[in-house]
Amino acid sequence: MKLKFWGARGSVPAPGPETNRYGGNTSCVQLTLDDGTDIVLDAGTGIRNLGLTMQHDCTLQILLTHLHLDHIQGLMFFEPAFDPKTELNIWGPEAPEASLEDRIARYISSPLTPIEVRELPCELSFKDSPTTEWEIGSARVQAAAVTHRGPTLGYRITEGDLSVCYLPDHEPALGASLVDLPEEWISGFELAQGADVLIHDCQYSDEEYASHIGWGHSRLTDTLTFAHRAGVKRLVLFHHDPLHSDDFLDAFMGAAVEGWTALGGAPDRVELAVERRCIELSAATA
Amino acid sequence: MQRPLELILARNLLSSLSTPAFLVDRDGLIAFFNEAAGALLGKRYEEVGSMSAAEWGETFGPLTADGERIPFEDLPLTNVLRRGKSAHARLHIRNATGDSHEIEASALPIVAAEIPRGAIVFFWPVGEE
Repeated sequence: MKLKFWGARGSVPAPGPETNRYGGNTSCVQLTLDDGTDIVLDAGTGIRNLGLTMQHDCTLQILLTHLHLDHIQGLMFFEPAFDPKTELNIWGPEAPEASLEDRIARYISSPLTPIEVRELPCELSFKDSPTTEWEIGSARVQAAAVTHRGPTLGYRITEGDLSVCYLPDHEPALGASLVDLPEEWISGFELAQGADVLIHDCQYSDEEYASHIGWGHSRLTDTLTFAHRAGVKRLVLFHHDPLHSDDFLDAFMGAAVEGWTALGGAPDRVELAVERRCIELSAATA
Repeated sequence: MQRPLELILARNLLSSLSTPAFLVDRDGLIAFFNEAAGALLGKRYEEVGSMSAAEWGETFGPLTADGERIPFEDLPLTNVLRRGKSAHARLHIRNATGDSHEIEASALPIVAAEIPRGAIVFFWPVGEE
């Protein structure tokens, strides 16, 4: 199993010299299974560069956590979607108001875009992510609703003995203390429990969070506490705030290592997501 | 076993309120009550944990004005859980020290994706503003 980060930024793309090292593209992670199946986690602007590297005559699976613009903006610029040889299956959260396709069509339609969803040349299907485990390629996929604004899912993808949990937009500590809350009452806990890699929202520093409570994102301390309690083997901090420069994130990384080791974690088991960085997962490296 | 997100959010909300309230899961288990409810009942949630409706009934009631226990089947809350409709009632409860209080209670179903998840019950002593 291999992970590659194509976009790790939250909220809005943040290109520029200040963000070159960590990257300015919004959420998109490629997960390549051992059988060659590609699962794409979210379709932020990072998916555009991913699309440029992909063969088109294939079947692709995109798992959307939710439909905020920073998680779907790249769909319109995903080159395989413009090739009739591509079969594209888009999974996402169910909502009572409209189907997944209709909700995505609010973005891919006039006047926001020059084409309509139905005009995309690829073979396209939209599916509500099931509430029970299902299979994609050689992996089992589990989805569950998690704390964010609006219908939002987290995912756990398991292949063999290895598992990756993806919770890019998540505020499990909203109105609760993660230190002593029973596990069954912690949003996303079951998805993350014992994962080999947890990719988790960490948009804010502890100081910044005070003015962003309820925005649907986590501060550093809560992310570390959540990961520690879930017993994950490796933590990747994700969804960097667009205002956070590379220099800020370098210092943030230092604080993360300090906090993680204070909880008993190994310093090399916590990191910040970096655009284009790969993580190879095998039983030996997990 | 992970609780449904709607119950997790409801618990987080109730734990931030000064209005006495409890949370019932879809099976009728009293899954949580907040500090304000605990003050009225004379027991904190952390002391008693989750309770079945029968255990709750034996400990706190609800009771009629004559002190008779109201059977679970006759509670307005049962309708909320079974039929997904709200309910409002005036009842008596007995706190941990045996004192009886008249209360008003309003119960609202929690439904997500058309699946009943449980109910929130707000209650407050009669006469209290």
